[in-house]
Amino acid sequence: MDPQTLDLARLQFALTAGGHFLFVALTLGLATLVACVQTWATLSRDPLGARMTRYWGQLYVINYAVGIITGLVMEFQFGLSWSGLTHFAGNVFGASLAMETLVAFFVESTFLGLWIFGWDRLNRWVHLAVIWVVTLTAYASAYWILVSNGFLNNPRGHRLAADGESLRLVDAWAVLTNPSSIAAFWHVLGGALVTAGFFVAGVSAYHLLRRTPEWLFFLRSLRLGVFVTLPALMLTVVFGGLQMGLIGEYQPMKLATFQGDAAEIARLQAEMVAEHGPGDYSPPSGWVRVSAILMVTTWPTMMMFSAASTLLASFRPVALRLQVWHVLLVLAVPLPYVAMIAGWVFREVGRQPWVVNGLLTTAEAVSPVSAGSMRVSLAVFTTVFALLALVNGWLLLRQAARGPGDVALGRPAAEGRPEPLPRPTY
Amino acid sequence: MEILAIAVLGVFALGYLVLGGADIGVGMLLPFLGRDGAERRVVLATVAPFFLGNEVWLVATAGVLVGAFPDLEGELLSGLFPAVVALLAGWMVRDAGLWSRGRVEARAWAAGCDGAIVLGSWTVALSWGWMFAGLLAGVTDRVVTGPGAALAALAVATLFAAHGLAFAGLRLAGPLRARAGAFSGRSGTAGEAQTFALTTAAMVALGLAVGLRLPLAESAVDSATLSLLVPAMAAVTPLLLAAQAWVWWIFRHRVHGPSYL
Repeated sequence: MDPQTLDLARLQFALTAGGHFLFVALTLGLATLVACVQTWATLSRDPLGARMTRYWGQLYVINYAVGIITGLVMEFQFGLSWSGLTHFAGNVFGASLAMETLVAFFVESTFLGLWIFGWDRLNRWVHLAVIWVVTLTAYASAYWILVSNGFLNNPRGHRLAADGESLRLVDAWAVLTNPSSIAAFWHVLGGALVTAGFFVAGVSAYHLLRRTPEWLFFLRSLRLGVFVTLPALMLTVVFGGLQMGLIGEYQPMKLATFQGDAAEIARLQAEMVAEHGPGDYSPPSGWVRVSAILMVTTWPTMMMFSAASTLLASFRPVALRLQVWHVLLVLAVPLPYVAMIAGWVFREVGRQPWVVNGLLTTAEAVSPVSAGSMRVSLAVFTTVFALLALVNGWLLLRQAARGPGDVALGRPAAEGRPEPLPRPTY
Repeated sequence: MEILAIAVLGVFALGYLVLGGADIGVGMLLPFLGRDGAERRVVLATVAPFFLGNEVWLVATAGVLVGAFPDLEGELLSGLFPAVVALLAGWMVRDAGLWSRGRVEARAWAAGCDGAIVLGSWTVALSWGWMFAGLLAGVTDRVVTGPGAALAALAVATLFAAHGLAFAGLRLAGPLRARAGAFSGRSGTAGEAQTFALTTAAMVALGLAVGLRLPLAESAVDSATLSLLVPAMAAVTPLLLAAQAWVWWIFRHRVHGPSYL
């Protein structure tokens, strides 16, 4: 196997999964908030609630595009770049990926189309049910993916086949209830809500800062965003702390690297060499330490800011006029993204050199593809992803800045759009 | 169990070719079906509520493949590497165009997105043609090259386009419908339905021909996994089909104007 192919394949997967995760974090959290707002709007018949559903729903749909497109590519990259993994662990790991596509991805996409295009065709209660189906299947998707990922981090419920070249499923329940998967699921869910809460609060603060006439719309939105972050941060840290304990149990090398414990690293290295033969069994320490430090320092920052914000948002005059705080809310929007990406780097890079912890190395998993082919595919995917992320990020910010007056999603048919298209302005 | 797993795989793969194939075909023929930006927007409305739901048939196919036939999945995808990369790139470009088109109201923006949709759709169709050319000849571990392969790829892409045209004829109204009908050389509702039935049959035949050449029965996973996975897949599949059928029923009427896209 060409060592260059391995590096290129890793970089490719890291960029795909990283890009995917950045957008999915907001998708998962924002879907929840939109579903809650729509529930309130449907129950109260408040026109403001309906407008909030459309505006935040529009931002959710724009953001969704990158998540789904990178998700499609990732589903294929397992076979494309990591055929050694599907060969070795396919019997255990493939089934959860299959269930993810069938019971989660498939239903989520079908019903999202229905939600977007069925705005004035569906009964309002049915339309509300549809957004909840989309949200819950997004959670299901996260669960199944983390079952797959949890198996890679902490393999269980399997045995080695007689030929020693692949795994067999022994205990499906152990795979489905893997603590590495369950703890990560709640951790990611909390993180996604934090991301969405900061996003909604930041966008609302931007509009209040500009003295928008829509002050009631954005006061409610700001409170929604701010009030959700505090419990979400608590959820995140509880399951984050739980995972640190689990890591000590099943990935002691990752923990020792994070703590910079040279004696422990040397002891574990000697142990692993005795068990698996010669090789370097410690993950790249720079990546592991920097990502872990970023993750665990953004949390208290967000926590203190969020606690202060919860207090400030409770007083209407303050919430409407305290401009310094509005600026801080806007500046804080990237914080959860930093924490999310750092946490993901810590989880994935910290597992190296293993792809299936203790069973299969990343080098053994890579497909027998030439470095040249891998380089071309990396260039193609990276270019498309970068363009996609830039264009989509720009569309998202542009729509966010325009406010609720100009939202295409769910626009009543009578309002329509100017036809034919307006003349270009250049 | 293997037979049932193959049947589930077949349902999703053929579903993709018939449903996804139609919206890819519409994307390929976008410049012919719609002569200006406003018309193209109406043409896109024929697939708008469905394209998300259509493409997940392929995601589900990949999921069933990795779950029930992981070795074959790895062999096919890494063997057909360049064609799969082209397929994915085309797919991304096409979807980016579809998702972004209606978000900015400027003529140049719409034209750029239309370009992405057309280019992406052709790339997807030709990539399928490229892969099918080798698979039909029984080659699963590398992509085939040469004039024969190019011809086969072009033939498959033409089938996608014809299928899209037939679908557009069923969905459009007024002068746009006449244009779609004129290309397929038929007129009237009965003719449109017949054309679509014909292209659907051709798509299914193509999918079956490829499927029969794949060593599916030999490469199924271990029975311990199959005995859990296959009943679960067989149980959810009817529900998934029902959900999609509901969506198709809701948006069954011909389109007269633009949609969200």
